[in-house]
Amino acid sequence: MARVDVAFATITFKRKIAYKTTWLFSIVFGGVSLLVGLAVWSHLIGDGEMGGYDWPAMKAYLIIGFVTSTLAWAGSDWEMANRILDGHVAIDLTKPIDFQRARAAEYIGGMVASVPAVVLGTLIAFLAFQPAPPASVLAVALTLCSVLLIFPLAFGLAFLCVLFCFVTQRFLGIQWARDSLLSFFSGMMIPIALMPGWLETIAWALPFVHFTTTPASIYLGRVDTAGALGLIAAQAAWAVGIWILARLVWGRLVKKVTIHGG
Amino acid sequence: MAAEAISIRHAAGVYRRSIGAYLRSMAEYPADFWVMAVSGIFWQATLFGFIGVLFGNITTLGGWGYHEMLLLAGFLSVTGSSTALLWDGIWDVGKLIVEGDLDYRLTRPAPVLIQVGSKHVGMQAFGEMTMGTLMIVIGWTGAGLGLAQIPVALLLLLCGFVIQGALLTLANTANFWMKGRMPVVAFMLIELQLESMRFPLTVFPIAVRIGLTFVLPLAFASFVPVQILIGELDPLWLLAPPAAAALTGWIAALVFRLGLRAYDSAGH
Repeated sequence: MARVDVAFATITFKRKIAYKTTWLFSIVFGGVSLLVGLAVWSHLIGDGEMGGYDWPAMKAYLIIGFVTSTLAWAGSDWEMANRILDGHVAIDLTKPIDFQRARAAEYIGGMVASVPAVVLGTLIAFLAFQPAPPASVLAVALTLCSVLLIFPLAFGLAFLCVLFCFVTQRFLGIQWARDSLLSFFSGMMIPIALMPGWLETIAWALPFVHFTTTPASIYLGRVDTAGALGLIAAQAAWAVGIWILARLVWGRLVKKVTIHGG
Repeated sequence: MAAEAISIRHAAGVYRRSIGAYLRSMAEYPADFWVMAVSGIFWQATLFGFIGVLFGNITTLGGWGYHEMLLLAGFLSVTGSSTALLWDGIWDVGKLIVEGDLDYRLTRPAPVLIQVGSKHVGMQAFGEMTMGTLMIVIGWTGAGLGLAQIPVALLLLLCGFVIQGALLTLANTANFWMKGRMPVVAFMLIELQLESMRFPLTVFPIAVRIGLTFVLPLAFASFVPVQILIGELDPLWLLAPPAAAALTGWIAALVFRLGLRAYDSAGH
């Protein structure tokens, strides 16, 4: 990683961490969702189990969902989109810095700013709700690997969506469509294991599943070590694949930039 | 009395012209419309999918079956999206204050709240409304409700819209005192509603139920109306949503007026 990447990431990190609302949003949004999830699933599961999740396992699943959803929505999608929408991209093209790489550094810097809120929220949730422990020490390490891979994956998806701004000149609708797909197919809304077979197959064929289901499955030991490594490899492959795809799309769509004035 | 009638007619005329102008401008950007409408469909489709998947595994939730849950989700979608359709400009209160744009509205001979609320249309509402209506229709027929209840349902939807609009106005009005461009309180209100009101309140602890019914009366926009329709509540409860709508509407107008008094322009 070059110094310039770190500089971009640091600037966004500092900007984000300076705003109290960022903290408030992370805790309140994730926290409300977590508390509602706990109330509903405790009502549904009781002493039994659903989709292979008993109550302690479901608590762990929901807390992991809190961590991953807070991270997934912590990036600065609008800052990237606005560069295209307000024409800043024209100036970016004159700079000797790769556009995609610079935005990646900024985006990930922004995500890192949410980490203190995530850690604090997770600690409180673990102490207050006592979820199922991890399957093993190795499972903890592999879960962390999977959570770390959410950073490039979240950027890739966000960047790919932002590129549509070249065509649509608007971002809100695209962002909402992405958010709804992410929240449903990641398992944040409802565990993938509860879906009918055909829908579960679709979910596993999409990148969104690696935002919640993959880390939660590894943590809870729903997959063995080989399975966990396979899932992490698939997650990494998606991150790389989307990066390459976004670069190809950028190459085509950037030609739409029209520079006016003099 | 006559003067009041004239001023209401004037306000209605301003509203109609303002929102009409925006609707006409939408016709100029069809791609934009479709992107937003489809994104609205996506959101509601995930809610529909969520209920479908959930009820593939269970038969009741808090005593509610699949069709009652669809009615609940449909009410939530239709009343929520009606604010996007008819009162979306209210989201701009914070921005108008910070940028000093409210000054223009204050100088015009028309009610400020009407001007602000009607300055924008959330095009996602068309998609959300479609999916919401679909959920209501499926839930309605599945739950065995008859045609005779349609007028009651329409009244309850109207009350739901007023309550949602009033609460959204109150939440955005907070920006008069918070001095920020971002409608933080309104975001929180929507988040709270999206997360909690898609479930029957019976699954929550009693304190949450009371809070979401009598402190922040979101329940009167979706949960209570559906309870009335499926006969879970005494018909006397039919008086409650209109009362809640009138009260929240009155409070919202009052607080907005207080906000205007606290407004000291952005200064130049």
